[in-house]
Amino acid sequence: MTDLEHMLERQAQWQKSRQSLTWPEKIRMAERVRESVRQLRALPRPAMPGPPKR
Amino acid sequence: VKELAQLLNEMQRVGVIRNYALFGATAQMRYTEPVATLDADVLVAVDSADRLDVLGGIYEFCAAKGYRPEGEAIRVGAWPTQFVPAFSPLTQEAMEQAESADFEGVALRVVRADHLAVIALSVGRAKDLTRILALLESGSVSRDAIKNLAARYDLAEAWQRFESKFLND
Repeated sequence: MTDLEHMLERQAQWQKSRQSLTWPEKIRMAERVRESVRQLRALPRPAMPGPPKR
Repeated sequence: VKELAQLLNEMQRVGVIRNYALFGATAQMRYTEPVATLDADVLVAVDSADRLDVLGGIYEFCAAKGYRPEGEAIRVGAWPTQFVPAFSPLTQEAMEQAESADFEGVALRVVRADHLAVIALSVGRAKDLTRILALLESGSVSRDAIKNLAARYDLAEAWQRFESKFLND
């Protein structure tokens, strides 16, 4: 198994372990990250690159 | 969310709302891994056909209890909560057929996974489509169940598009 495959497998296991948490535990986890999410969403969005100038 | 469950049950008991069910991301997390969300969404049925502000009774009840509006929501404990009247046949069915879950010892009505998926399909934003994939991945709902429910609500084509874009090999 390559390093990348190991990493992906660890990631998948971590995700499965989060899914097996109880519903209240998942809600508490969402509460903990919510303020960070709010701050990130409040950041000004970078301008999208326009079409190339001729 | 426990505080929200207690408030919702009380509102139903005293008749401020006829029925309710949690939906959106907080409901999704019952079935999938945790997801980032800013607020809690609740479907409600109210007896206020004579009022222009159908949610007025909810706002008044919450204000009397000390819960204050915050933008489009009312903050209940840690959660800004959006109350959404169940007007469409799909959301009405989702609310009526919701399951009663136990949230830290308090009963809380929560929309079933198949209804969550089809409501998401009907809304159709990127984050809603991601919700459908997460629900399928969790095994809490099958493709057939979504297909059948979607067909009953004129969403067969939307489901077909979703399947061919995201699920067909």
